[in-house]
Amino acid sequence: MPAGQGLTVLVAEDSDVDRMLLARIVKRQGHQVVTAQNGQEAVALFSERRPQLVLLDALMPVMDGFEAARQIKALAGEALVPIIFLTSLNEEQALVRCLEAGGDDFMAKPYSAVILAAKIRAMDRLRRLQDTVLQQRDQIARHHHHLLNEQRVAKAVFDKVAHSGCLGAPNIRSVQSPYALFNGDLMLAAFTPSGDMRVFLGDFTGHGLPAAVGAMPLAEVFYGMTAKGYTMPQVLREMNAKLKRILPVDMFCCALLLNLSQQRAVVEVWNGGMPDGYRLSAEGAVLTPLQSRHLPLGILGPGQFDDAVEVWPLAAGERVLLLSDGVLETADAQERLFGEQRLRSVLAGNREPALLFSELMQALALFGGQPRDDISLCDIRMPGAQEPLPAPVNYPDSGPTSPADWSLGFEVRGQSLRQFNPVPYLVQLLQQVHGLRTRGGNLYSVLSELYSNALEHGVLGLDSQLKRDVQGFADYYQERARRLALLSEGFVRIDLVVEPHAQGGRLKIDVRDSGEGFDVQQVLSRAALQQGLSGRGLELVRRLSSSATWAEGGRCARVEFAW
Amino acid sequence: MADMHIDHKVLSDLREVMEDGYLQLVQTFLDDSERRLGQLHAARSAQELGAAAHSFKGSSSNMGAVALAGLCQQLEDRARRPPLFGIEDLISRIDQEFAEVQRFYRAEQQGISAG
Amino acid sequence: MAVETDFSQDGKKLTIRIKGRFDFGRHQEFRDAYERQPSRPDAVVVDLQDTTYLDSSALGMLLMLRDYAGGDEADVRVVHASSDVRKILAISNFDKLFDIS
Repeated sequence: MPAGQGLTVLVAEDSDVDRMLLARIVKRQGHQVVTAQNGQEAVALFSERRPQLVLLDALMPVMDGFEAARQIKALAGEALVPIIFLTSLNEEQALVRCLEAGGDDFMAKPYSAVILAAKIRAMDRLRRLQDTVLQQRDQIARHHHHLLNEQRVAKAVFDKVAHSGCLGAPNIRSVQSPYALFNGDLMLAAFTPSGDMRVFLGDFTGHGLPAAVGAMPLAEVFYGMTAKGYTMPQVLREMNAKLKRILPVDMFCCALLLNLSQQRAVVEVWNGGMPDGYRLSAEGAVLTPLQSRHLPLGILGPGQFDDAVEVWPLAAGERVLLLSDGVLETADAQERLFGEQRLRSVLAGNREPALLFSELMQALALFGGQPRDDISLCDIRMPGAQEPLPAPVNYPDSGPTSPADWSLGFEVRGQSLRQFNPVPYLVQLLQQVHGLRTRGGNLYSVLSELYSNALEHGVLGLDSQLKRDVQGFADYYQERARRLALLSEGFVRIDLVVEPHAQGGRLKIDVRDSGEGFDVQQVLSRAALQQGLSGRGLELVRRLSSSATWAEGGRCARVEFAW
Repeated sequence: MADMHIDHKVLSDLREVMEDGYLQLVQTFLDDSERRLGQLHAARSAQELGAAAHSFKGSSSNMGAVALAGLCQQLEDRARRPPLFGIEDLISRIDQEFAEVQRFYRAEQQGISAG
Repeated sequence: MAVETDFSQDGKKLTIRIKGRFDFGRHQEFRDAYERQPSRPDAVVVDLQDTTYLDSSALGMLLMLRDYAGGDEADVRVVHASSDVRKILAISNFDKLFDIS
């Protein structure tokens, strides 16, 4: 025992001789001694002096050592106060009684100073060990409490930044475990200016705060770029580049981004590392799994990143179901995983879409019992024509000055056509015109449509007739990607003229392309007849603009907005 | 003579541990023992007898009075298993043994006071 | 040891074997397996013969190894993956980064 580290030792012994002797032995070993003549005195002295160690005679008048030991142990609480019973008891039963009353060791008479010193040292080691354990436990409890508090604060901040956007829209159903974000799950939804709905479901590697930090920049990119009308590939590239830049090498984000276009009746999907999503019929039958085709976000450099999006038709009432791996990896007691088959059978058994999530959660609970904190589910239904989604956000007013008389020519050429999409920039510019501010969504839709017509049918020479059925649809987008990759020349030119007109103003848009042109009369009359997957574009342009005509043998589309 | 009654290893440890408290310890032992003997003779039940024998055994053993401690142990054992037939004989052997121990410790007192 | 290493005689090929679960608990061992070698290997083989489970942090560890072994120029092969493990690697499309067999 280090010098100056003496303990306070309580000696309780009814025999004067034994007490005197024992007190002397213990004192000589550098400890403080307090003495008691019976059990009751011992308990009282213990409360008063709080000794660290007790030497207790078993048989004493008034209150015996067994009862005193019980009371002292109760008073000591969690701290270990070792009790050494002083006894010449040589019966097994009595020794057992000592231990059961809380005794930690025995000491027989005649007392040996050497043995007693060794016993006190051993007991002191135990006492300190217990002390350390208790301190560490309390420290852990404090840290844990602190951490929970930090998580609560962080969650409040995160919830503001990575807010759920338009997840509350009437065609979306979603659930997330309360602390899913801290298990790396992130769910976001927003409208593009043209009224398309974008939904993002991501899953960062790891757990806790490290898994959540990437959520902030990702949400910022998602909401910022979606509101400005950037295309999916553009948003994906930016997300990927940003994560690649800020995350350590071993961290990445499995992600599924989808774009639901009511106007075009399609869903576009990019899945990198997430479990299969599902394209469902109105009745809930699986039409197509939406499989992971890419590496997760944040792994590849911009040069290797693949932004290719899959396009699937999605009619009114049809749905898309997204889920995080927490669903599939819920494990039962034998560590078997819930897995895809069980998920599929829940899907197959579902009759009422509104009940799908509760049926699934029930199946998970029945299967595993152990609820996980990283379960995210999102079910998005394609709204019907009579069921318009909430209006896209307007850009904030940029002040009283509003340019009302200007023109601009913008030409995208050759390889720039492969990736660059000028529409968001042009729409942002046009938002500066006061009379167009409330029509941002329409402008965006019309410009997007004209631009993609010019690119796909004009420059790339694709026939929209291909998109007659689901297979053709897939072929069409495959062919589009192929031709785009090979593209080396061609152009799409956009001319904008804004001029005062009558009491208000007028915007004239010309979109020209380097393609072959088309038989305007024939296509327009066919479009009027068709309600299929193709031919929606022209119809849409006409509906949303003040006037729309085609000139130069179909190579120039001319649209006007007046106010 | 003293060897039969006193364990000298215990005794020398006692002297070393108690230092200047040794004489006081001896006096306390002698006083205490008289009281214990009185309790042995006055005991009205086996339980009282056993308790007195137990305490006497403890202090005797600490004072190195091995024979006395041994007799007290016997008495404690007998008290736990009545009938107490012939117990007076054992008590008087304890009286005799204590007389020897007393003689020894009185000599100790005088030796130390004188020396 | 849940992570075992074996350096080929010529010092060019490092083989890392992971036994049991390959998850965050193996993080330090796995890093030590390639960082605490006398020299940098030309090729690394990750042997998953006895690996029962692999989670996303294991994928992160594979990315760290790839980075250490030269990034895009790295020669890292993942061998003997069970069908369950292969499925996890396939969902994340890690076959685009690693030679998996």
